[in-house]
Amino acid sequence: MARFEYFFRETAAGLRRNGVVAFAAMSTAFIALFLFGLSLLIAREFELVTRVLTGNVEVQVYLSDPVNDGTVTRLTERLQQVRGVANVDYWDKKRSCEQFRELFANQPVFLENVNCMEVIPTSLRVNLSEVTDFRQITAALGCQTVESGGQERQECAEPGVRSVADYQKLLDRLNAITTVLSLSVFAIAVIMLASAIGLVANTLRMGMFARRKEIGIMRLVGATNWRIRVPFLIEGMVEALVGAAFAIAFLFGVKVFFVDSLRGTAPWLPLIRNTDVVAVTPLILLAAAVVAVIAGTIGMRRFLDV
Amino acid sequence: MISLQHVTKVYRNGVTALEDVSVEIDKGEFVFVVGPSGSGKSTMIRLLLKQEEATNGDVYVAGKNLSKVTSFKVPHLRRNVGTVFQDYKLLQDKTAFENVAFALEVIGKAKHVIDQRVPEILEYVGLGDKLNAFPDELSGGEQQRVSIARACVNRPLVLLADEPTGNLDPNTSVDIMRLLDKVNRIGTTVVMATHDQAIVDAMRKRVIELDKGKVVRDQSRGVYS
Repeated sequence: MARFEYFFRETAAGLRRNGVVAFAAMSTAFIALFLFGLSLLIAREFELVTRVLTGNVEVQVYLSDPVNDGTVTRLTERLQQVRGVANVDYWDKKRSCEQFRELFANQPVFLENVNCMEVIPTSLRVNLSEVTDFRQITAALGCQTVESGGQERQECAEPGVRSVADYQKLLDRLNAITTVLSLSVFAIAVIMLASAIGLVANTLRMGMFARRKEIGIMRLVGATNWRIRVPFLIEGMVEALVGAAFAIAFLFGVKVFFVDSLRGTAPWLPLIRNTDVVAVTPLILLAAAVVAVIAGTIGMRRFLDV
Repeated sequence: MISLQHVTKVYRNGVTALEDVSVEIDKGEFVFVVGPSGSGKSTMIRLLLKQEEATNGDVYVAGKNLSKVTSFKVPHLRRNVGTVFQDYKLLQDKTAFENVAFALEVIGKAKHVIDQRVPEILEYVGLGDKLNAFPDELSGGEQQRVSIARACVNRPLVLLADEPTGNLDPNTSVDIMRLLDKVNRIGTTVVMATHDQAIVDAMRKRVIELDKGKVVRDQSRGVYS
């Protein structure tokens, strides 16, 4: 018991003595951990958006003209056997053209110049649970992208099929955006965490410097290194954890005041929920502990010698 | 209790502080280490505390070869060796009681042990009525008594004193020497580095004289020069 009393008394004294510097370390830890948490939430938000964009998609299988009923039945049956396919819908020329006219209703000139019945192909619209499953459809129909004369074109082995809508580019783009966004936010978080480590380490070092006489006496009377270091380690831990507590509070603040005010303005846009914020708190606390441990190791390296 | 065998200490800047020094000090002895500044007295004290490592030769304290004591074990070695310095090394923001208690606290002694032993030892050094005085409220001699109390509270086998009377007037110095003698009489081995001639001559104890890092005289019941 006497031991814990000693550690906490020394830690509290250290924080008091080092007030301003400790405050600087805490605020940096707070900002760093806040950005770290924010990066995790942004990544989560992006994951939700991606899921909406890529979930429940419709893949178009365009058919070659002229189309006969036998081909449609055969292909429908064929596609329904592919894994991940929910249902297959046949769109003939008439239905496709109606949609076409609807889409370009405000461009009458364009509509007049295009003979819809000739240009728009009939298609089978396949509902998929995941957009990545479109590869299975291209595979099932034996389609592959070939390059001829600098232009990419799709060729399908399955008779009656002209092409399958290619989602590869969309997926690649989404992936690229996700990667760039996550990496840059993560990089900022890492830089901030590094500076938090530096500042906490510096606080500890200043604390040790202010108490070098005390530490010298402790050595002389036979205090072990751990006896000397633990109050400083706790000090660093307290600074990092106070920063983490504020970071978590502010993340909830961001969620309540900014994210929740967006709710309803864009119904199609999925937003992070409280559970998402709760899910990142262990990671923030872990990061805080890592900051404290590394800062402690760096800050006390020079004081390791007996 | 203390044994230096062919000890040489060369500092990193090339200064040879001790050269082939061999000294044996038995349990319960009182030894003066004398010599001019730079003769190696303080280096000898630092070697005995393992604050420095001997370049060559072996140093034994309380039966342990210091070169074989891992840095992990050094604190435990130091609990057997009390130290007193010219500048007292007291913490200014702690009272006499707290300064002595600090030495027990940092080695993890229980509060009831501290509450019992600290007044006891302060009484022993003659400061029974000044437990709650801060260092700046005490005279130099009284501050040195506090530091002796701190060095002895853990009942060390050896007491190392580096110029303990260096900042004190002759009368106060005599009082401090009486106290060190008292500590010696209860069985503590005392090694005191000094260049206070009057004290050495008055005490008539064993004298080891160093000059330029070499032992030039080792005399029981000796005088300063």
